Amino acid sequence: MAKFVLMLPHAPDRYSKLGEADFMELMKDYIGWVEEMSAKGKFEGGEKLLDEGGKIVTNVSGSIEVHDGPFAEVAEILGGYMVINAADYDEAVEIARSHPHMKHNETIIIRQTDASADD
Amino acid sequence: MMQADIHKLLDETVRRERGWLIASLVSKFGPAKVDLAEDVAQDAIVKALATWPYKGVPDNPRAWLRRVAGNAAIDRVRRSAREFGVDEDWDFATEEPDIITPSLSDPELDLMVLCCDPAIEPRDQLFLALKTVCGFTAAETAALFFMKEDALSQRLARAKRKLKNQSGELARFPTRFALKARLPQLLKTIYLMFAWGYLPRRGRELFREDICREALRLSDGLFAATDGEAAGHHALHALLLFQMARLPARVSADGQLITLEQQDRTLGEQTMIFVGFQQLEAAKSSAGLTRYHFEAGIASLHAEAADWGQTKWPAISRFYELLHAQAPSPAVLINWAVSLMLSGAFKAAEETLREAAARPGADQLPSFHLARAKLADLEGDKTAARTALEAAKACQVSEPVLEHIDRDLSLSQ
Repeated sequence: MAKFVLMLPHAPDRYSKLGEADFMELMKDYIGWVEEMSAKGKFEGGEKLLDEGGKIVTNVSGSIEVHDGPFAEVAEILGGYMVINAADYDEAVEIARSHPHMKHNETIIIRQTDASADD
Repeated sequence: MMQADIHKLLDETVRRERGWLIASLVSKFGPAKVDLAEDVAQDAIVKALATWPYKGVPDNPRAWLRRVAGNAAIDRVRRSAREFGVDEDWDFATEEPDIITPSLSDPELDLMVLCCDPAIEPRDQLFLALKTVCGFTAAETAALFFMKEDALSQRLARAKRKLKNQSGELARFPTRFALKARLPQLLKTIYLMFAWGYLPRRGRELFREDICREALRLSDGLFAATDGEAAGHHALHALLLFQMARLPARVSADGQLITLEQQDRTLGEQTMIFVGFQQLEAAKSSAGLTRYHFEAGIASLHAEAADWGQTKWPAISRFYELLHAQAPSPAVLINWAVSLMLSGAFKAAEETLREAAARPGADQLPSFHLARAKLADLEGDKTAARTALEAAKACQVSEPVLEHIDRDLSLSQ
């Protein structure tokens, strides 16, 4: 079984403009999904990223420059990521399809981890 | 666990913990800090909802919320320890045993007493108690009173300002005499809380058993503290027990509404019904008759009927008549009309429904349109019945009720 990382971007103001009740309804869908996937052995873990803050460190011709996020000009920010178990990309895509993120937001980015160096 | 179970678990945990957290924090810091208590509870809940999607629900969600809220509260206390005048080593998370001994030392009952401060308008007392003690969201509280959420929030803010201004020992705990004056409002809060649990006007569930149980627990706790001296308390308790006993029969295995007519009476909780009748007996020696007496009387007639066919409808409609004299409302008129209909008194039913229709707010009640549909059906007017059912769908109802109306509509095709 391979591991896949699901990255979940959302519009910068996606949640800040929601009322409490709406936010709760949305999050209940997410939590319900995670619990279901955990029960099936598909969910490995994840992290929510803080909405505020963020840094970009760049090497500009040998000197390191540090810039603050968030990145106001971007259409989406990364809300967090999850790691799932799937046989291949086909299954990972199938799992992503059922993700409430596809109902409440637009995009999920899937990448397979490179397990070739693992024991 | 199924997704629906998770939703239910989250709803129950959030509601229960919101009430508990706020009540415990207020009992610690006093009513002047009700805002802080609400903020801390709210932050912990939002944090849970925002992080659990990535982590899953912790093994003990209740402990998780209490730890997070406890830490946040301690954090704020440290920042202004002098202002609060409490010691810094206070450990919030370990303080509470899970089984709360019902008594007025119960933080939730204490907060309810504080919310029912006579300096606050009676209606606002109820908003405040339901919002802070019972863990209702602003949207739920607004729906319970058919109000706009904004209007409710404004009144809540004003009520909280008044509560904060009542400082000193008196605001912390009213004397026994002052407490007595607040008892009718406490009963009303418990009654409204139960009513919402019994038939929520929103959400995916037909009823919220956790809310009903909590209302019953608060009523129990109030008994322990006051010996049932509030007029109508025994009657209210009997009413809650009769209704609670019927919950299992109201819903099918797949979550569909089962009407009273179809309910299997053997599913009723016999012990609760038995204790309900004992409470009803005790209610006879009450200082005065309250609406709860008549409502408990009606519920007892349903509880004693072996099935739909043996229900004493004329006696029930007599109770509704008395209830209407005591506490007139469109909802009472509507139920009265239905009981008349089922007693075979169609003309009287029609007149009573007409009287209900003339009252403001009647058309917001789904029961009004459902009663009209039933009457039209009995009179053989299919078109009017359908129109009434469609109107019922436009009211605030939970999803299972909506599905039930849809089934009725498809049957009438």
